[in-house]
Amino acid sequence: MLFFSFFKTLVNHEVTVELKNDISIRGTLKSVDQYLNIKLDDISVVEEVKYPHLSSVKNVFIRGSVVRYVHLPAAAVDTPLLEDATRREASQASAKAKQG
Amino acid sequence: MSFFGFDTNLPRDRQGQTGGQSMFQQHDPFGGLRREDAGNQESLDFEDTYDGLGLNLDESGDTFNDDTFGSEEPVTRQDVGKDFDFAGQTSRMRGELLEEEALHHARQPMQYAQPSKQKKSGYEAYREPEYIPKLEADASIWGKLSTNNKKPAEQQAKQDSSARKMMSVEEVEAMMRSQSRPTPPVQDTERQSQGLRDMLGVGSPGPAPPQQDQTRPPVQILQRPQQQQQPPQQQPQMQQPMPGYNQRAPQILQRQHTPQQQGRPQSQDFQGQPPYPTQQQHPVQMPMGAPPGQPQQPRAPMQPVSHNRGPSYNGPPITQAQQMMNMSNEERETYLAEEAKRAKRNHKIFLLSKNNGLMTPQDKNFITRIQLQQLLTATGGVDNAMGSEEQLAEDFYYHVYSQIRAPPRSGPGQPLSHFAQTYLFQTGSRYGHGRNRNQPRGGDNHVQRMEQQVARAVEAAKARPKNKSLVVEGSLGKIAFSNSKTPRPLLNLKRADSESRMRPARQTTVADRKAALRDVEHLFTSLMILEDHERKMPEPPNEESPPDKIEGHIKWRTELQHLNQNLWEATKVMEPIQPNPTTPHPFIALLALSKSKKIIPRLFRHLDDQQRLTMLTLIVIHLDSLDVVRDAYPPADNTPLPVRVREEIALFDACIMPPLFNYVNEARLEIMVGLLGLVLERVHVQSILRTRIGVSMLTMLISRAELVAGSLPPNANQDDKQQWQQLYSRLFDTIEPVLPYIFPTTTNVAAADDVYVWQFLAAMGVGASPDQQQRLVLGVKERVMETVGVAKGLPQELAGKKLGEVNLFMRAIGLDVELLG
Repeated sequence: MLFFSFFKTLVNHEVTVELKNDISIRGTLKSVDQYLNIKLDDISVVEEVKYPHLSSVKNVFIRGSVVRYVHLPAAAVDTPLLEDATRREASQASAKAKQG
Repeated sequence: MSFFGFDTNLPRDRQGQTGGQSMFQQHDPFGGLRREDAGNQESLDFEDTYDGLGLNLDESGDTFNDDTFGSEEPVTRQDVGKDFDFAGQTSRMRGELLEEEALHHARQPMQYAQPSKQKKSGYEAYREPEYIPKLEADASIWGKLSTNNKKPAEQQAKQDSSARKMMSVEEVEAMMRSQSRPTPPVQDTERQSQGLRDMLGVGSPGPAPPQQDQTRPPVQILQRPQQQQQPPQQQPQMQQPMPGYNQRAPQILQRQHTPQQQGRPQSQDFQGQPPYPTQQQHPVQMPMGAPPGQPQQPRAPMQPVSHNRGPSYNGPPITQAQQMMNMSNEERETYLAEEAKRAKRNHKIFLLSKNNGLMTPQDKNFITRIQLQQLLTATGGVDNAMGSEEQLAEDFYYHVYSQIRAPPRSGPGQPLSHFAQTYLFQTGSRYGHGRNRNQPRGGDNHVQRMEQQVARAVEAAKARPKNKSLVVEGSLGKIAFSNSKTPRPLLNLKRADSESRMRPARQTTVADRKAALRDVEHLFTSLMILEDHERKMPEPPNEESPPDKIEGHIKWRTELQHLNQNLWEATKVMEPIQPNPTTPHPFIALLALSKSKKIIPRLFRHLDDQQRLTMLTLIVIHLDSLDVVRDAYPPADNTPLPVRVREEIALFDACIMPPLFNYVNEARLEIMVGLLGLVLERVHVQSILRTRIGVSMLTMLISRAELVAGSLPPNANQDDKQQWQQLYSRLFDTIEPVLPYIFPTTTNVAAADDVYVWQFLAAMGVGASPDQQQRLVLGVKERVMETVGVAKGLPQELAGKKLGEVNLFMRAIGLDVELLG
C-alpha cells in the first residue's frame, strides 16, 4: 500500500510515465488505484514524432502492469516522510512475517 | 434426421447391415418407376397432390443432412428435389422404424403370438394358395436384410406362419394391378416390390418396403381384422400410421392415399396393407410401453408445439368469446393485441413469481451483509476513517503528507521537526472531533441502520483476516482468501528467532558501517514508536477526571518514559568512551550517516535537558573524529572537497547545528566553560579550526559564553567569569598560530564562502583583550586586506556582501572596513 499511498499524494501533479514499450507519456496524474493503474490527463507523448498516433489522445488510462517508471516531480516528494513510511511498512511486514 | 428427433446413427447401422450402397441403389430404380407410375396415374402424382404443407415445416435443420446421412444417397435428392427430401429421409426412417419394430418383436415375442393368430383368422378369407410361392420369392429379395439382420431372420423363423400370410399381400397386389393399371408380370419379384412400393406410399421411395415386408407380417395380421371390423374408422387409422411411417409429411402421405382409396374402393384393403404395418407399429408399440423411441419421438416435436402455442395465445380471447362477437374488426384486433401483450406480461410475471418467497427477509439481510463485507474488505473499509490506526498504518505516507502539505502549504524545505510535530499533533485530534460529531446524528433511521450494518460488517471483516484460509470440512486443502490489502502470500516464511537474536550480539562488538546502519534503523524504529505513543496521548487529567482516566494517563506516562529510555539507549550516546579508541564511538559512527543526521532534530525534541547536554558533550568531545570534521580537512593540493563530504557538511550544518544551537542558547555559562574546557583538553583544536563544522561549533560555544559572560550582572558569581577568561586565554593561545590558515583555501577569495570564519573571528574578537585583539588582527590582516581589495573589483552587490562579512569581525574589535578604505 506504500506506493499506492505515495502516488495518491501526487494526484494533480505532472508526472511522466514511462511504459514498458518505451513510450513516455507526460500528463497530469488524475487518479491511481491499488494496482497502480494510472489515469493521466492532458497528456503529451515525450517523443511525439515517434508515436504520432498518440498525438490526438487527450487522456489515458494506463494499466499498472505496463508501467516501467514514473518520473516524479521532486518537489512533491517528502523524502524523510517517505523514508518513515517505508520503515513503517517494513516493520509491519516483518511483524506480520513473524506472526504468521 | 436429428431434426426430427430420430436417432441419427440408425441409417448408418442400416447401411452396415444391408450393405449400404446396394440398398440405395435399389431405391433408385424404384424411384424412377414410381415417377413413371405417377405420370400414368394422377392419383399418385406427388406434385399435384402435394398441398405445400411441407413448406411450413422448419427446413432449416436440413443444412447438414448431408453430413449426417452421407451424401452418397443422391436418389431422393436428385429425383425429387429438396422439397421432397423428406421422402428419402422417410424411407430411411422407415427402415429404421421397421428395424426397431423387428427388434421389438424379437424382444417381445409373446405379444406377437396372439396377434398373429388373430391375423391368421382374419386373413384366411383372402388367402389364395397360388400366391404362396411368389411370396417366398419376395422373401428372398428381402432376404438380404434377413441375412444381414439376424434378429428379423429369427423373427421370421419364429413366425413362419405369419410369413406365409404375407404372401397374401402379393396376392392383393396382383389384384390391384389387374384392376387399375397394366402391370408387369407378377412373377417378377422386383416388379412386385415396386408395385408394393407404389401402393405403400408414393412418398416413400423404394428401399423401405422390402424391409417393411419383413417386419410387416405380424403387423398385417393385426390390422386386417381391425380394418374389416371397423371400416368407417379407416381414415383415422390411415392418418395415424403416417406419422410413424413418414413423420415429416404425414398429411401429404395421407392425401395420396385418400385418392387411391377413393379411386379404388375395392382395393382398399390391399392398399391399406402397406400403411397398416406402420399403423401397427403404434398400436403394438404403444401398449408395450417402451417403444424404441422412434415412432413416438417424431410426433413429439410436432404436436407439443401446436399444443403449447394454442392455449397461450388463444386462451384469453376464448374467454371473451361473447364480447368478441360484438366487437368490430378493428376493436377486436386491438383487443387481441392488448390481450396478447397482457398475456405476455402475465407470463413473464408468472415466470418471475415462481421464486417469490424463496428468501425470507433474514436471508436477504444476510446476503446484504455478505456483500457489504466484501465491499469493505475490498475497498479498505469504511471504518478506516481518516487518522484511525488502520488508516495510518496502511496509508501513512498519504495521510501525513496531506496533513503536512495541504493545510499550511509550506515549502518543501520545511524543517524536519516541524513536520514531525505536525503529524503528531494533527492526526489524533482533528479527525477525532470529526468522528464524534458524526456519531450523535439521529433522525434518519435508515441511514442509522445502514451504519450499524456497516459497523457489524466491519467487525466481521476484522475478525476474518485472522483465519485467512478456509478449511472446508473433509477437504484436504485450504482455500486462501486474498484482497487488495492482504494479497495471498506466495511464500510464507517463518523467520527464525535466532536470526534476530544474533544481530544485536554482533552490533556491540563490530562498529562498522553496517552496525551503524543497523543502529540508525533501530533508532528510527524507537523514535517512531515513541512518536506513535505520543500521538496517542490521552487528555491530561484534572481533579474531576474519573480514576480510570487518571490511571490511563499515568500508564501512558510510564510507557512514554520507558519508550524514551529505549530511544536514548538506541542513540548509543551512553556507550562508554574509550580513552584510546581504535574505532569511533558508536554515536559518532552513527552520526556519520546522513540519515542519522536527519533524525537528530526529531530526536532532540524527545530528549530532556540532561540528555541533550550529554549528547552535545559527546559531540564536542569527539569533534575531531566527526566525519564532517575528519573528512573535511582541506587537502594539501587545495582541491575541493568531495561532493559527498560537502553534502554531509551541509547536512550537518542544516540538521544538527540548529538544535544544538537552540540548546546552547539557553545553556548557562559554566556549561559553556565546561564544554570549551573539554574541547581544549581532548580535541586537536588547531586542526578542527580548518574545517567548517569545527569552526562553527567553536563559534557557537564561544559566542554563547561571551554573551552570558558579558550579560552577567556585576554582583553575580565571578568565578565562572574568571574561569571563562582563563579558558579564553588558553583557547586564544591555541588558535593564534593557525589564524592565517583557518580560511578556506580551495577557492579564490572572491568566491570563498568564508562567512563562518568571520563569524568565528568576530566571536573571538568580542571577548578579546586589546592585546588579543591586536594579535587577532595581525593574524588575519592579510585576508582582510585581500578581501577588501577583491571586493572593490566585484559587482556592487557581491562586494557589499563580502565587506559585510569582513565587517562582522572588524566591528567586533571596534573597527570598520571603511577605515581600511
